[in-house]
Amino acid sequence: MSQSQIESLDAATATMTLSLEVGLYPRDVLYAAAYVFLDRAYVLLDRSGDRYQVHLRGKAALDETTLRAMAGEFANELLAQALRLRVVHTNQRLIEDIASLAISGAAGRAVHGDEAALIDLDAPGDDGFLDDPLGIAVPWESKKGAGEQ
Amino acid sequence: MSAAQATVRLHRALYAEDAIRRAAETFTDFAAFAVRADGDHYVVDVTDIDREVDGDVVAEFCNFALANTAIRRKTSHA
Repeated sequence: MSQSQIESLDAATATMTLSLEVGLYPRDVLYAAAYVFLDRAYVLLDRSGDRYQVHLRGKAALDETTLRAMAGEFANELLAQALRLRVVHTNQRLIEDIASLAISGAAGRAVHGDEAALIDLDAPGDDGFLDDPLGIAVPWESKKGAGEQ
Repeated sequence: MSAAQATVRLHRALYAEDAIRRAAETFTDFAAFAVRADGDHYVVDVTDIDREVDGDVVAEFCNFALANTAIRRKTSHA
């Protein structure tokens, strides 16, 4: 992260303010990046003119090196989330198709209208799998009698 | 932020009001919250902050308000 994006940094209070150009980062990207840091920092977002201000304060004491590293991580996270958002938008139709296929499958309906169901649920015996000509499904006790071991 | 009262300003373009109110409900056992709009910001007056609480109630409240806003926005897009 360039110096200009770190607006202020104070290791004594483990605080830092980042300044980001509004036009570069969609709001969803800012939220997603900030969300990642909530477990280790107190995050406050603000806006001043055409810049977002991200106020970060470590939940634990942080030295200057660690704070600068955190600023870099935040910048990386912004880029990663921006890419993720772009991929989602690009593949939106594909994602929806896959989801609808999965839901159709879970609902037990044939995915394609002309594809016949494998088992007739109204008359399962007609499919033959309930026939047991060799008596395989007959329990041992029924075949040999309850007294035999 | 460890005083018995504090004021927080949350930008209206970045924080949803119901997300702020839900965060306030979450911390209602530890402080009293009054939310009002003032220009570009929601102003949250936090009073009666429980001094016995281990942690920063106001800062945690801000984190919750941000998390609620982010989740709400993500859900509304889904």
